[in-house]
Amino acid sequence: MTEKFDQEQFDQMAAEWRYIMTDMICRAGSGHLGGALSLVEIVMTLYYRVMRTDPKNPRWDERDRLVLSKGHAAPVLYLALAYQNFFPTSWLKTLNADGTKLPSHADARFVPGVDMTTGSLGQGLSCACGAAYAARMDGKKHRVFCIIGDGESNEGQNWEAAMFAGHHKLDNLVAITDYNKLQIDDFTEKLLTLEPLCDKWRSFGWEVFETDGHDWDAIYDTINAAIAVRGKPAMIIAHTIKAKGCCLVENKPESHNIKVPDQAAYDKFLNAMNTKATLPY
Amino acid sequence: MENTLHNKEMRFVYGETLNELIEQNPNVMCLEADLSKASGTNPTVSSKHPANFLNIGVAEANMISIGAGLASEGKIPFCASFTCFASRRVYDQITISVAYANMNVKIVGTAPGVTAGPNGGTHMCFQDLAIMRAMPNMTVLSPCDCYELRACLHWMAAHRGPVYMQLIRMKQPQVFDSTYRFAPCKAVHMRRGNDVTLVSTGYMTPFAMQAADELAKDGIAVDLLHCPSVKPFDAETLVASANRTGGVVTVENQNILGGLGGAVCEILSEQCPVPVKRLGVPDQFGEVATEAYLFEKHGFSVQHIKQACRDIAARRRK
Ligand SMILES: Cc1ncc(C[n+]2csc(CCOP(=O)(O)OP(=O)(O)O)c2C)c(N)n1
Repeated sequence: MTEKFDQEQFDQMAAEWRYIMTDMICRAGSGHLGGALSLVEIVMTLYYRVMRTDPKNPRWDERDRLVLSKGHAAPVLYLALAYQNFFPTSWLKTLNADGTKLPSHADARFVPGVDMTTGSLGQGLSCACGAAYAARMDGKKHRVFCIIGDGESNEGQNWEAAMFAGHHKLDNLVAITDYNKLQIDDFTEKLLTLEPLCDKWRSFGWEVFETDGHDWDAIYDTINAAIAVRGKPAMIIAHTIKAKGCCLVENKPESHNIKVPDQAAYDKFLNAMNTKATLPY
Repeated sequence: MENTLHNKEMRFVYGETLNELIEQNPNVMCLEADLSKASGTNPTVSSKHPANFLNIGVAEANMISIGAGLASEGKIPFCASFTCFASRRVYDQITISVAYANMNVKIVGTAPGVTAGPNGGTHMCFQDLAIMRAMPNMTVLSPCDCYELRACLHWMAAHRGPVYMQLIRMKQPQVFDSTYRFAPCKAVHMRRGNDVTLVSTGYMTPFAMQAADELAKDGIAVDLLHCPSVKPFDAETLVASANRTGGVVTVENQNILGGLGGAVCEILSEQCPVPVKRLGVPDQFGEVATEAYLFEKHGFSVQHIKQACRDIAARRRK
C-alpha cells in the first residue's frame, strides 16, 4: 500500500498496465485479455491504496488477502505484484512460456503474493469464506477480499458461499463482482439473467454497494465503506467494461480469449491500445 | 464432403455431426456451459437448430443434472465442456443423476490432457479416463480422428446409456476414412507385428503409428492396437496380441494411473502376465506449456515410445 494518490500518475500507470498486459498475452500467443483489462483500476486501488501487504514477506501473517476467483484474469494480478516488487518485472514476459512461474490462471504455488490458486470458476468465494472464518476464529485483524466474475456467478457454488458468509456474518470479507456484462459465449443478460443482482446478494444477508469500476475515487470510497460494514459480509457490484482500453475488442465477446498467431495479429492488438507504454522487460 | 472431414477441426466435425443427429432424431440435444464456441457447436448447431441447443451458463453441475432430467423424458443430451469440468468437477452429478440412475446422457470432454496447453495446470486434466472408467454403467471413448469421431457420435446417439467421450478440438492427422465403422469394445489393429504390443488411444494414436513405422525400419515389428473404447475394453484382442509378442507398451495423454495403462495391466495381470511399460504422465498435475515440452518432461514423445518398445521387446517373455 502506498498512501499517496495522484490521479494523473494513476491514470498513467493504468494505461501502462493495460499496454503491458496486452503485450504479455500477445507474446504468449493467446490469453484472457478482456477480463483482465476490466479489473485494472480495481486491482490497482486494492494494492496501492487499500491492502496491507509486505512484498518482502509475501506470506506475512497479518497481510490482507485477495482471492482472484476469476483466475483467468491473472495477468492483472501479476502486474500488481510485479509493480509492488513481489517479484521482478522481467518475469512478466514469461507468461505461459514453457517452465514459467506465471501460468495463465492465478497460481499460489509459483507466484509470490498470490494467496489462492484459482482457475476453476466458482470456487474462490468459498475459499475466501474459509480464510475469513479462520481469521475471525484466531482473532486476526486482516481483511479478505475476493473478486468474482459476472459470468462466474452462474456457478451455484457462489450462492452456497453467499449463504455461508451471510449466515456467519463474515464482516471481514469484502467481495467484488467484476460486472462487465460479458462472459464467453454472450452478454450475461442474454445467456443467463443475473438481474436483479444487488437484490440477490442482499437477500443472502450481504450489504451491497454499487460503483463505477473505472473511477478511482468511487472505487476507493466504496471499498472503504464496504470494509466499515459490521455484522455482515459486503459485496461491491463494480460496473466495468470488458477489454477496456483495447478499442479493437472493447465490450465485445471476442475479447475473452484472444488468439495471436502471428506478428500481424500482435501488431493489430498493440496498435489498438488507446495508450502506448514502454515495456519493463 | 464425407471424405474431406480430416481437413476440418475436430470440434467443427462435432458440431456438424450433432446437426446430422438432430436431423435424424429431434430428441438429440446439444447442451453447453458457456464454452459453446470452444466446443464447436456455436454457431454450427446454435444457429441451425436453436430449439435443440441449450446454453446453461457457467454451471456444469447444473448442466449434467439438467441433462439427466431431459433424458428421463426421452431426450438425448450431448453435454460438453473442457475435460476437467465435464468430468472431475461434476463427478457426483455424473455418478448419481446419470450413471446410477442409468440415464441416457452423453458427456463430451473437450481439450483432453496436454491439448489444454495455454489454459495450464488448473485445466489440464489427466484423470478423466481413469475416473470415468471407475464409474459403473459408463462407456468411455477417445476417438483419434474426424472419421472415428463422427462414427462414435452416431453410435452414441443410437446406444441407450451413459457415455463419456474425449473430444480433441483441433485438426487431427487422418487415420481412417469415411468407410470406418465404430464397434464398441473393439480394438483397431493399426499395425501387425510379433516383437512388441503397443496400445494407444485418442490423441496418442498418430504418435504411436509414427513410432511403430520408424521401429519397423529398425527391424522391430510392432503390433499396434488403437483402442477408441477404453471401457468396455477389448481384452480378447489385447490378450491374443500379448500372447504372441510377450510384452506390452501403453501410451496415453493421461496420468498412467487408472486410465488406458491401468485397463491393460488389469487385464494382463489376470489373463496373460507379461512385462508392461506404461507411458503418459507419471502421477503429476499439468502445467501451462507446449505439447513438446510436456511430452519431453513426462516421457511420452515418439522417441520415448520407441525406446520403451525396444526395451520391452528385449525383456519380453520368450
Ligand atoms: C468451472 C469452470 N467452467 C468453465 C470455465 C471456462 N471459463 C473461463 S472464463 C469463463 C467465463 C467467465 O465469465 P466472467 O466471470 O464474466 O469473466 P470475464 O468476462 O470477466 O472474463 C469460462 C466459462 C472455467 N474456467 N471454470
